[in-house]
Amino acid sequence: MSGSSPAHTPAPHGGNPVLLAIGFISKLSGIAAALLIVISIGVTCQMIFIRFVLNGSTVWQTEGVTYMMVAATMLGLPYVQYLRGHVNVDLLPLLLPEFMRKGLALVVLLVTIAVVALMFWHGYHFWHEAWDWGETSNTPWNPKLWVPYLALPLGFGLYLLQLVADLIAVVFRVEEPFGLEPGATLADSVTEAAE
Amino acid sequence: AELRVSHQWSEGDVRHKVAQMVADEVAAADVDLTLQIFPSQSLFKAREQYKPLARGQVDAIILPLSYAGGLRNAYNLTLMPGLVKNHDHAARLNESPFMDEIEAIMAEDDIMVLVHGYLAGGFAGKDACIVAPEDVQGKQMRAAGKSFEQMLAGAGASIASMSSAEIYNAMQTGVLDAANTSSSSFVSYRIYEQVACFTPAGDYALWFMYQPMLMNKSVFDGLTEEQQTALMDAAAKAEAFYLEQAKAEDGEARQVFADNGVEIAEMTEEQFNAWREIAQETAYKAFLEGSPDGQRLLDLALSVE
Amino acid sequence: MDPLSLGAIVAFSTILVLFSGISVAAGLLVVSAGFLIVFDGASSLNLMPEVFFGKLDNFALLSIPMFIIMGAAIASTRAGADLYEALERWLTRVPGGLVISNLGACALFSAMSGSSPATCAAIGKMGIPEMRKRGYPDSVAAGSIAAGGTLGILIPPSVTMIVYGIATETSIGRLFLAGVLPGLLLVALFMAWSIYSTARSSDGSALIPTSYSWAQRFEILPRVLPFLAIILGVLYAMYGGIATPSETAAVGALLCLVIAMVIYSMWSPVAIWAVLRDSTRESVMILFIIGAAGVFSYMLSSLFITQSIAEWIGGMDVNRWVLMGMINLFLLIAGFFLPPVAVILMAAPILLPIITTAGFDPIWFAVVLTINMEIGLISPPVGLNLYVINGIAPDIKLKTILVGSLPYVGCMVVAIILLCLFPGIATWLPDMIMGAEL
Ligand code: NA
Ligand code: NA
Repeated sequence: MSGSSPAHTPAPHGGNPVLLAIGFISKLSGIAAALLIVISIGVTCQMIFIRFVLNGSTVWQTEGVTYMMVAATMLGLPYVQYLRGHVNVDLLPLLLPEFMRKGLALVVLLVTIAVVALMFWHGYHFWHEAWDWGETSNTPWNPKLWVPYLALPLGFGLYLLQLVADLIAVVFRVEEPFGLEPGATLADSVTEAAE
Repeated sequence: AELRVSHQWSEGDVRHKVAQMVADEVAAADVDLTLQIFPSQSLFKAREQYKPLARGQVDAIILPLSYAGGLRNAYNLTLMPGLVKNHDHAARLNESPFMDEIEAIMAEDDIMVLVHGYLAGGFAGKDACIVAPEDVQGKQMRAAGKSFEQMLAGAGASIASMSSAEIYNAMQTGVLDAANTSSSSFVSYRIYEQVACFTPAGDYALWFMYQPMLMNKSVFDGLTEEQQTALMDAAAKAEAFYLEQAKAEDGEARQVFADNGVEIAEMTEEQFNAWREIAQETAYKAFLEGSPDGQRLLDLALSVE
Repeated sequence: MDPLSLGAIVAFSTILVLFSGISVAAGLLVVSAGFLIVFDGASSLNLMPEVFFGKLDNFALLSIPMFIIMGAAIASTRAGADLYEALERWLTRVPGGLVISNLGACALFSAMSGSSPATCAAIGKMGIPEMRKRGYPDSVAAGSIAAGGTLGILIPPSVTMIVYGIATETSIGRLFLAGVLPGLLLVALFMAWSIYSTARSSDGSALIPTSYSWAQRFEILPRVLPFLAIILGVLYAMYGGIATPSETAAVGALLCLVIAMVIYSMWSPVAIWAVLRDSTRESVMILFIIGAAGVFSYMLSSLFITQSIAEWIGGMDVNRWVLMGMINLFLLIAGFFLPPVAVILMAAPILLPIITTAGFDPIWFAVVLTINMEIGLISPPVGLNLYVINGIAPDIKLKTILVGSLPYVGCMVVAIILLCLFPGIATWLPDMIMGAEL
């Protein structure tokens, strides 16, 4: 009953075009996140090379890589949701009888949607404030901060989209609540295949 | 009423003691006002305190004002190489028309100054002394503040950016050849174990950073007259203590480094002027490019004797 | 309401919310938002993204995806099998050579991977079937790999140590060194138990070493060279003046990707994407928890709960070892349910002032905490490594894996006791290499 199982079970779509489209966007977002991580490897190694081999100045790399990691995290959110990779503890769902499980799944999804919407909304204002002030990071590189801050509304917005898709999937029974087999219980999960 | 005060330092730091002193004095005045201090970034990260203060989400902070230089370019003048010559000069600057202008900008963000204060710093070199610009040529350096990074780069140093907490490690492994930071950071991070030479803030020091205790103005205005008086009296006492401690810290750093067998170097007036010339071509120039009103403010600051 | 009762309510709400099946990160955000609205007013909610961004705005976090990529890239090749095979061919005279080789390979692999599941999967894929074929009991085959995999977060590099270093502002380089000797101690304890258990439960024939010719021994050596190159390269970069620990992680990731592609011919885009996808998935999951835990600890601090709990425990007149025992029990229980990163981020700000006041070394405590988290990885209900083993060897019953892992939990408890008796096991190496602590 570990939330983060090593197997990948992407969000099922059941042929629904909306779910397919949202899943596709989440996948693209995930690819962008992975690329940002790969680019960070390159930039960091370039920085070490400039400093250690050429004895040169490394002004923007540390800051740039940090912002890239924030962006990778934010863009990764919808994709990891799509892959069911956000770790959770499904103790209560397994204790509940099957008919109550769907209700709990809906509540959990709605609450998650609410808090992510909150982060999206205030994240947008956080970004807009920096845009409005023309705020910079005040380092020698001195980038405009609205650029890295943009990752917040963007990431939470796409995450919201995938969560809505998941809500649709549970409502229309494209996916079982919590991705659990209909008959699954706590006892099954612990002693699974025991006998 | 209860005021929440945020800052980034540990409880042993002089800046915590300043906040504590204000808190204690206000408590002693018995005007139904308490200050709750959140040290060590336990509420906000160091660089992320200005906006919450402006919005009133925290009532007071102690902040190196140049941290907010990305919001208000004028604040960068509070950490400019060679602008402040020594602690007494800094104290006169606090009372000058220049500071009035800076406070006017803060007032636009609903912020006022409770306690003025500057802290000084110096340079430390792993193998050799850093006193003149030619000493940093080809060295990997870490500096505290954008303007210092610009000046050092102008003198031919290579700049590696890292937090002051990383200096010790980076010097030990050889990533860094020299560093510039405040006297208190040099001591608290035990940099004396890693360097051969230390250039403390002496008669001529380049690095002075304005680190006042700030308060949200609307919150202050909302206090009773009694509470306001108690707060301002406490702040005045703390300001005198801050100045005295700031001077003492430089002497203490010099002593600690010397006791640990580190060579102590002094910067001469000539070397100070050479640095300032480079700073004018780099840090000052970059500052003026970013600000239409910059020249007037800079002239005001330079006019303080 | 006084902060302590408020703290109890927050703790209860957090447990309730997290057990509902909501993702850990979203759950932390929900609890934070709820208490901020009630006690600081709705206007304080606009700080949440700001605090969230601030937590992630930290260069040291780069090392998390990097150390995960290192493990994932190597785990995707047959390198793990090469490693234990080479060890076995050279350990011919040692009884139980195979299980010893597997545990040794886990330790070596841990020196390249920052996370536990990758270590488990890399060695277990070939190691478990091989051990079973040679007559080792299923409980030892599965338990030793599940336990050996947990070394991934103790032997450097380690994602949990990075997170601890960031949360408590302790030197990551020092934390890494502190994990080395306790890691080796655990390996030795695991080995001892494996041999004892195998000898007891079978006729002992499984322990009879297979013999190899010298040709066979030398033939496999070139295949472990890449490992040595990676480990030495990373160590040299980290302690040799080339880069800071966070930067070194990128060098390690690059080395591992290049070696996987060049030496193990991982050229197909599908294979490369699989590595990147798995690493991105695990990293983002952890980084999201880090951001959300940042908002959670802001809430705790703003409501003055953190400070009050620390004061309250500091004011209790208990023996420091009783205190340490209580802290361990708390960590153990939290570790049963929550991933290590979440436990560290939620507990460190509260526990650190307490343990330093009680006179414990934060570096030493990091090691004790990590071993507690390792226990959580091989115990129900959320034992990540148990599920990895279950995925590798589906025909071993989960119950057998569980029962097989239990004695290794015992080994970890012994290690914690030894660490309490001899703190030098953790602190000696960092002190020797980096000088006495700041
Ligand atoms: Na490791
Ligand atoms: Na567990």
